[in-house]
Amino acid sequence: MSKEDNLNENWKKDFPIKKQESTQVSRRDFAKFLTFVSGGLMVGSGFVTAKAFFLPKEEVQGEHFICNKEDIPVGGTRGFVLEGSTIPYILIHLESGEFRSYEQKCTHLSCSVFYKPGTGIIHCPCHEGSFDALTGDVIAGPPPRALPQLEVVFKENAVFVKALIDKKES
Amino acid sequence: MSTFRTGQNSSNPNKLNNILSTLIFILILNVSIQIWLLYASLNNALDNNKEILIPAFIASVILFLIGFGWLYYMPKGNFRKK
Repeated sequence: MSKEDNLNENWKKDFPIKKQESTQVSRRDFAKFLTFVSGGLMVGSGFVTAKAFFLPKEEVQGEHFICNKEDIPVGGTRGFVLEGSTIPYILIHLESGEFRSYEQKCTHLSCSVFYKPGTGIIHCPCHEGSFDALTGDVIAGPPPRALPQLEVVFKENAVFVKALIDKKES
Repeated sequence: MSTFRTGQNSSNPNKLNNILSTLIFILILNVSIQIWLLYASLNNALDNNKEILIPAFIASVILFLIGFGWLYYMPKGNFRKK
């Protein structure tokens, strides 16, 4: 027996795993891993469902005073945070004279959005997302949902916001 | 006594190879559908559309059970014992 053959034999004794065996085992482990991922996704889906039904997002309570009408020029924006909350909102005075209030967080990755005066578009600079300033709907870019909106009400000259009553029901 | 499993495991390695590849293919398909379901239910939950959540969860459970039951058909390998 040559030295080379001897080395080969010893190597096989030290590491007695067949090539075919090892590849087949790894594919079987991969199949098991895929099933494990599948179970994880199922649990995640259940978690999302449970969260939505048992711990829903709190609605804005009551009406909140923001500012007077003349405080915001046409095309201007005012940022605000409601008491007892950390969610930033913006109040926009549109060129049509209407007021709109939205969450300032892009629905894509929560970057802050801003109103582009004169265009009717709320823009997210992170990934070039665009929202319709009149309705909050997505016009372009990656955001998957419309911007959450607050209802704007006027009391003489003062601007108040309150939770928007869902129009999808009607 | 010969069972389905021993019969399957003694079949030709080419056949076992096909079985395992098909199994993995179906599992990847299931996981892709589940990722899509989770993405859709997350978006709808954040948008306050709750109708879709329970059907999506049930679909996800069924896909998992299919994948889990599917593992029964996973071949152990036809190795010659020395």
